[in-house]
Amino acid sequence: MRTSQYIIASLASAASAARFVLHIPNGPVVNPSTFPSSTHATLQSSGPPIVAHLTRSNTFNFYNVTPGSYYASVHCRDFAFEPLRIDVSLEETVEGSGEKKEMIRAWQTFVGNEWDNKGESKGEGGNGLVIEAKVMGGKSFFQEREGFSPLSFLKNPMILMALFSMVLIFGMPYLVENMDPETKAEFEEMQKKGVLGSATGSERPNPAQQLQNFDLAAWMAGKTTDSGPSSRGQSPNPASKKRT
Amino acid sequence: MRLHARALALAASLVLPCAAIFEDDAYHIDYHHALAGLPKRDTTFFQQPFPGSKASLIYTLSQKQILAAVNPKDGAIVWRQSLSGPPGTGMLRSGEEQDTVISAAGNSIAAWSAADGRLVWENTMGGATAEDLELLEQEDGMANADSKDAVVLLSGSSPEVQRLDGKTGRAKWTYTDSSGDTPFQLSTSPTTIFYISLHTPMLGGSKIKVTSLSPITGKKLDQYTLSSEGEVQSREHILFTGANTAAPLLAWTDKLNKVLKVNIIGTKGVSTFAPPSNEPVQEIVLHASNRVTSLPHFLVEWQTATGHSADVFHVDLKKATIAKAYSLPVLAGKGTFTTTSSDANVYFTRVTPDEISVVSSSSHGILGRWPVKAQSSLAAAHPVHGVSEVVVKSGSASAVRSAILYSNGQFALIRNGELAWERPEFLADAVSAAWAELPEEETLAHELEVEGHSNIISAYIHRVKRHIRDLEYFPAWLQSIPNRLLGNLFGNSQDDTIGDIQRDTFGFHKLVVVATSSGRMAGLDVGSKGKAVWNIDLDQVAPDVAFTRPSLKTAHGYIEVKDRGFEGTLFINSTTGALISSKDIEAHEPSLSEAQRLIAFDLVDGELKGFLGAELTLDPVWTFTPPNGEKIIGFTPRPIKDPVASIGKVLGDRRVLYKYINPNLVLVTAALESTRTASFYLLDSSSGQLLHAISHHDVDVTRPIPSTISENWFSYSLTIDSAADSTSRGYQLVVAELFESAIPDDRGPLGASENSSTLQPSSAMGDVAMPYVLSQTYHIVEEISHMTVTQTKQGITTRELLVTLPSSNAIVGIPRSIIDPRRPVGRDPTALEASEGLTKYTPFIFIDPKWHLNHKYEVMGIEGVITSESGLESTSLVFAFGLDVFGTRVAPSFAFDVLGKGFNKIQMLLTVVALFVGVLFVAPLVRRKQINALWTI
Repeated sequence: MRTSQYIIASLASAASAARFVLHIPNGPVVNPSTFPSSTHATLQSSGPPIVAHLTRSNTFNFYNVTPGSYYASVHCRDFAFEPLRIDVSLEETVEGSGEKKEMIRAWQTFVGNEWDNKGESKGEGGNGLVIEAKVMGGKSFFQEREGFSPLSFLKNPMILMALFSMVLIFGMPYLVENMDPETKAEFEEMQKKGVLGSATGSERPNPAQQLQNFDLAAWMAGKTTDSGPSSRGQSPNPASKKRT
Repeated sequence: MRLHARALALAASLVLPCAAIFEDDAYHIDYHHALAGLPKRDTTFFQQPFPGSKASLIYTLSQKQILAAVNPKDGAIVWRQSLSGPPGTGMLRSGEEQDTVISAAGNSIAAWSAADGRLVWENTMGGATAEDLELLEQEDGMANADSKDAVVLLSGSSPEVQRLDGKTGRAKWTYTDSSGDTPFQLSTSPTTIFYISLHTPMLGGSKIKVTSLSPITGKKLDQYTLSSEGEVQSREHILFTGANTAAPLLAWTDKLNKVLKVNIIGTKGVSTFAPPSNEPVQEIVLHASNRVTSLPHFLVEWQTATGHSADVFHVDLKKATIAKAYSLPVLAGKGTFTTTSSDANVYFTRVTPDEISVVSSSSHGILGRWPVKAQSSLAAAHPVHGVSEVVVKSGSASAVRSAILYSNGQFALIRNGELAWERPEFLADAVSAAWAELPEEETLAHELEVEGHSNIISAYIHRVKRHIRDLEYFPAWLQSIPNRLLGNLFGNSQDDTIGDIQRDTFGFHKLVVVATSSGRMAGLDVGSKGKAVWNIDLDQVAPDVAFTRPSLKTAHGYIEVKDRGFEGTLFINSTTGALISSKDIEAHEPSLSEAQRLIAFDLVDGELKGFLGAELTLDPVWTFTPPNGEKIIGFTPRPIKDPVASIGKVLGDRRVLYKYINPNLVLVTAALESTRTASFYLLDSSSGQLLHAISHHDVDVTRPIPSTISENWFSYSLTIDSAADSTSRGYQLVVAELFESAIPDDRGPLGASENSSTLQPSSAMGDVAMPYVLSQTYHIVEEISHMTVTQTKQGITTRELLVTLPSSNAIVGIPRSIIDPRRPVGRDPTALEASEGLTKYTPFIFIDPKWHLNHKYEVMGIEGVITSESGLESTSLVFAFGLDVFGTRVAPSFAFDVLGKGFNKIQMLLTVVALFVGVLFVAPLVRRKQINALWTI
């Protein structure tokens, strides 16, 4: 605290051109004291940018900034900062007095927008103004490698489909057998008309056996007319022939 | 083969384009040499980072104006800062019991926190330049003990001496010298500040003028002149200005090093000494302790052509006399001396290529002696200068560690005669680099070439012979299998530990040849963390040429070296670094027939000119001059090796946009400062035809304008000038893509023709097939200093734009899909466009940290990035040089042709075993069921 007071005092006493300070506040997540010393701030307007290094008191001190409109950014290895627009102008302190003083104004700015599209004001004042540089968030450089986990395996839609059809194949016959005779007769009636029944003749009365012999691949390929068992010899994917 | 390529292309296009680095790959597939540049003699020292610290760090301000703190344990950089000012002019001082180091470079004096490199204070001196900087080592009531004041000598309109407060950097007093003398240096004694200037009359040499100033008020106390005009012709003849020694000394010599004159500053007497008479002395160096509390002893080092020796002198402060105490004998070869002080004692360490010995300043008895073990990296190099730390216990030196700069540019620490670490600081001057193939691949390519050129039978015999010869490696290969298998299974693949250069399966091992501005060349193996394989000095190869910006070109097995100030070409073997005579080369060179002559082009007198044949002759075939008085600031040709996998771009509706593919594209950048305009011209280098031109206004042309070109697209970056009333600010990235026609399924004027030529494009002469150019501009947050494109073997993998961001010290790979100029503007993409992977245009590209190739590394001062194909189609090798050296591998479409570390081989084996066990159990059950089924029918 003593040092930062001191910096402001020293700023006030030096002569000519604008001086101001960008300060990184100590946040709950971010501790600016741990930032690498390569952290620096730049003011860009025309020609080479003005560079300020990170000081011990977590500030960037700019001296002798000539009037103009500057794009200020803080470059840090680990954290991203909000960009700022800082305008430095010479203004008369009292109108008509002729005595001019530096005025510094800072706003949030948005890259990819018009320069006049300013955000919230970040400070306004004479020499020695302290502007807070806001941390937007940490930088994460690495991609997570997706390890193997049974849960992600189960999330795969292909696996889910296979599991569902397995349940259908093995579970259905038992369900049908446990049905009361009336519904069973009704179901068989339905089967004769439906998809599953279409492949069978009357010589196969056992629904369980019929379901076990059901050719899922052939059915999915849209095969409806042939009888079930004989379809095994054919290509499971007749559509592939058309492509070549 | 084509089918195979198509399958790969499908695989490449299916995966998401954003490929970041995996955490377990970082620090394994990449390497980084954080360099500082060659350390300077007077700005390198051991120092405790804070009072009471047990360990010390090596602080150095290098020739490249990099202030760095190096850990003497492992040679790692603790922190570093880049300072302003012309190269080699900075000053660095530190005092005992201080937690800061103070630097002066250009017009800026700054104090840095010694432990972490943060700025403590900075004082900018307007238009003046700092000439010298000293710390005041005294207690006078004005200074406080924990931050010593600095005295700085400034040369501006008139020289000034300022005393700066050690806590704040503000001036306490200023002394202005209006005599018109040249300011030279400062020196301090416990009671006085001495300002030394050179008074140069119209004729003859310079007189040394010493002005004593009061440290408290800065008032002039006394002034005297030493008659040195007989010897001192230029500043280099003044050897030493004792800073902060107990007895400040001023020593100078004449042009031929025939005499050594020493003055104790503050007295008028001059003592004269003669160097050893047997041989002409080439260099005289004075070594003295810089502590106030040390004994006033100093050592003079005499370097001759064949050997070196030294004399130790003692200063008697009461009588103000200097007397020679003892001599250290002549040793053949080069060596250097370092000074260490502990309490009042001063120790001198003599470092030669074979031995390190320590003597005390008071007597000539050797306190300790360690033979230096021969190192291949330091072979044929001699110590240039260094710093040492000595531990002396009961009259004998028990340990010594010396950080030595060797003549081959290695900065090494020798601990008790053993090499602890070395830093290849010469690489910090790198200005150009080129990829070279490994010798094995070169020989194989050569053999295949031989087979291709002879008739079938002899080629077959040659091939069989070659295979029989290869059998000799078979037993060794068999032996290596178990190791490789085990290594593969348990994840510690041998990739990282391969010592010598040899070809690996994936082609990750390659050589990069780097040339530096100081005329040094080195071969680095990118497969083993960028280790230097060889390191040569071009001055020894071609003694009368001063190399400043050597340009490199790779050919079969050798490197062609050219330089602006050098007429001929040097040929260097790319695997050993040996010079090859041009006769041997011509035997290799396949002779080009008359019809195969190529067009070469270069920038000549501000115009781009194309010439027939490889040599730049007088009459150009074509000349390109930019209009309106614009100046060409650079040009980028399409890379020679730039394979294109597909000639068209398939749209969402299965129609095809044909790419404009021309191997001779050159992008010329021209700028006009007065109107702040930057223009880009796309030329055909074989005909000189202008294919496309773009102009940008309100551009800050003083900032770098990097550009690159690849396949059918080019890209460049600009800085918007704030002086204009432009509506937006910051930096722009422009990407343009070339197509044969704006209409899909249309090939423009080339459509019907069987063949096409860029020289005579269609039946009508002079009618050039102009490309249809689509371009988009994006805002970016940072300046780009350099850009290039990744390269792969067949060009199937999507390319990635590699940009260097100097303010973030980063190299970023921007995926091609992000900067696709076909992104729809002002509307959401249609379903067809979305299926192509196009997203809505946004004027701003957020540079994702995941695109950073360098992740946690900070790559400073990058001047160039080069890319090369690897053995894998998915992977491109990247090498960046400049101040730092950085290398990595990138897979822009993910590593689709190699198993990554995420693939668990043990798990796979376990699954196979489990399945096998399952089969063993199930097989009898199935068999029983089958038999039962047969019996029941």
